[in-house]
Amino acid sequence: MAPLTIALPKGRLAEAGLACLARAGYALPANGDIGRRLVLDSPDGRLRLVMAKPSDVPVFVEYGAADLGIAGLDVVREAERDLYEPARLPFGHCRLVLAGRQGREERPLRLERSPKVATKFPHLTEAFFRRRGLAPEIIVMSGSVELAPQIGLADLIVDLVQTGTTLRENGLTELHVVLESQAVLVANRASYRLRAVEVREFIDAVVAAG
Amino acid sequence: MPVTSPAGSSTASVGPSFAADRPLPEGVRDLLFADAAAVRGMAAALRALWGTWSYRELILPTFEYADTLATDVGAQIDAELYRFFDRQGRTLALRPDMTLPTARVVGTRLYDQPMPLRLCYVGSVFRHERPRAGRQHEFIQAGIELIGAPGHAADAEAIALAVASLRALGLPEFRITIGHVGFFHGLSAALALPDRLAGWLRLAVDRRSEAELADLLGQAGTVAATARRALLQLPRLTGPDAVLKEAEELCLNGAMASAVADLQSLSGLLEAYGVAGAVNYDLAEVRDLDYYTGITFEGFAPGLGVSLISGGRYDELIGHFGPEQPAVGWALTLDQVLVARELQGVRQPEPVPDVLLSVTGHPEGLAWASQARARGLRVEVDLAGLKPEDLWRSAQTRGIRRAVWPDGADRLLVREPEGERQAASDAWEEFATWLR
Repeated sequence: MAPLTIALPKGRLAEAGLACLARAGYALPANGDIGRRLVLDSPDGRLRLVMAKPSDVPVFVEYGAADLGIAGLDVVREAERDLYEPARLPFGHCRLVLAGRQGREERPLRLERSPKVATKFPHLTEAFFRRRGLAPEIIVMSGSVELAPQIGLADLIVDLVQTGTTLRENGLTELHVVLESQAVLVANRASYRLRAVEVREFIDAVVAAG
Repeated sequence: MPVTSPAGSSTASVGPSFAADRPLPEGVRDLLFADAAAVRGMAAALRALWGTWSYRELILPTFEYADTLATDVGAQIDAELYRFFDRQGRTLALRPDMTLPTARVVGTRLYDQPMPLRLCYVGSVFRHERPRAGRQHEFIQAGIELIGAPGHAADAEAIALAVASLRALGLPEFRITIGHVGFFHGLSAALALPDRLAGWLRLAVDRRSEAELADLLGQAGTVAATARRALLQLPRLTGPDAVLKEAEELCLNGAMASAVADLQSLSGLLEAYGVAGAVNYDLAEVRDLDYYTGITFEGFAPGLGVSLISGGRYDELIGHFGPEQPAVGWALTLDQVLVARELQGVRQPEPVPDVLLSVTGHPEGLAWASQARARGLRVEVDLAGLKPEDLWRSAQTRGIRRAVWPDGADRLLVREPEGERQAASDAWEEFATWLR
C-alpha cells in the first residue's frame, strides 16, 4: 500500500511535529536526512514526509499532493483553503494579535478613519476589521512587521506573539487577540474519503500521542 | 499571418513564438489537439451511455437573465455570476451551472409532460471564483437530471448512472461519497443551539474539526449528553455502509432516523445495481445545505485533491419556475476527469494521421484519398510538393507510420519503417489494418 504523504512545516513547528509523529508510533527517517532532504520516506514505509514552507502546507494538502499536513492554525486560516481540520495538536501555541504603540490604546479603534495596519496576515486582518465595521488600509510585509510603527509606515500591526517580549522591546503593546493559534492537523478532502481507514488511523494515533 | 515553417526552422529569436502581448483573461484557456480530442471523446462516450439509460439531451443557452440564474441558489453562486447588460440595460449572466437553465425549461415548458423526465447536457459553465485548486472560471460540465420522481429508486438510478458514467469515461479508480442533509438538519434541531452559533456549527462540521465542535459545545450551555455525543461523533461517520449502523445508534429524532433509513434503502438498491463497491457514506457532508433536500454526493479520484462530480436531491428548485417537481441530479467536470485520468496513467494520444499522401504529379491520388477516408483512415495530403525522401522524413518526425504516393494507375508506393514496397491501390483489406 502506498504510504500516506504528510506535509510538515519547516521552521518553528518542525521539531515538535516530528516528535509528535514519533510518539504516535511512526518510525522517522535518520536525523541526518531530516533538514537535508525535502522528501523523506519513513523506514517502516507507512509515511512519506514532505518538508514544506509553512504557508505551503495548506496548498499541498488542498491539491492532494499531501494527504495530511501539520500547520499553525494562523497559517491555515490565512490561506483560506478548502481543507479538513480533524485535530488540534498540543504544541505551537501562540496568539495573532493586533498591537500598537504603547499609550495608543486610549483612543478607541472604532473612531479611527482608516487604520493603517502592517501584517503578514492580510486576509485575517481584513476580516478582523471588516467584522467591526472598519476599513483598514493593509500593508502586506514579509518580515519584521514590528518595525512598521517605529518608522511611521503603519499605526498598527497584526502579528504572531508567543511571549510578548518582541512587542515590548519595540515599544508596542497588545490591543486585541485576533486568533488563538496552535498546531493543527489538516487533511485533504479526497484522501479523507478515499483512504478513510488509514487517514482515521493516523489522526487517532497522532491525537492519542498528544 | 505568421506561420511556423513545417521543417521547424530554428530562427534565432524565440520571442515571437511565445508572445506576451496578447493576454488571455484570467480563468479561461484553450484546449489543444489531444485535450480537445479527449474532451470530445468523453462527451461522446457519455451521450452514448446516457442514451442507453433513456436520458435525452438538452442544448441550453449560454446566458440568460441574471434574475433567472440567481434564483434560490444561495449567496455563493450569486456572488460568482458573470453579469453583463443587454442593449436595453437589463442584466444578463453567463450560466453558472446547467441545473438552473434545466429547471427553468422544465418549470416553464415541460411541466405537463409525462414524468419522470430524464434529461442530460454537456456544456461550459462560468463562475467567477476565487482561485481554487484545479478550477478555471470556465469549465465543462456534463450531467443528468431525473425530474418528477421522488424516492430511493430515483436516487439509486442517479448514483448508479454516475458510477457508470465515470467508468465510461475511462477513469480506473474513483469513489462516490453519499450523505443526506436530513441527518445534519435533525442533529441541529436536537442541539437547539442559539442562532449566533448555528453558522459556526456548520463551518466546524464542514472542517471536520472535533476541537471546534468541542469548543462550540462549551459555549452552548446545556446540551443533552446524547446530542453532545452525536455531534462529536459526526466527523467520524464516514466510510463503507457500516457507518450507517453507527449513525443509526446516534439518531435523536425522526429527521435523523429517516435520513439514515433513506441511505440504508439506497444502499440496498446500489448493491442490486452492482455499484456498491464504488460508493461509501459520509453523514457530515454539509455543503450546499440550503439547496439540497435529501441525499447529496461527491466523487473523488486518487491524487486529485478536489471532487470531480457532485449532486443530490433538490426537490424545491423547480417550483421556482413552475409547478413543483421532485428532482435528483448531478454534474461532473470534464476538465477534472481529464486530470484524474492522467494521474492514473490514462493518456489521450496526440491525433496523428494514418497516412501522409503525396499527390505531386499524380492527381489520381486524391480519388484514393477519398475512398480511404470513407473507410475511416486518417489521410493527410502533402501540399508542399515534397520529394519521396522528404515526405518520409516528414512523416517520421511527426509520428505518421506510413508515407504513400501513387505509382501508376492502380498501384501505390508505400514507405513504412520496415522499408519501401508496392501495393495494389485497391488492397482495402490491408489498408484497414493501418487504422490506429
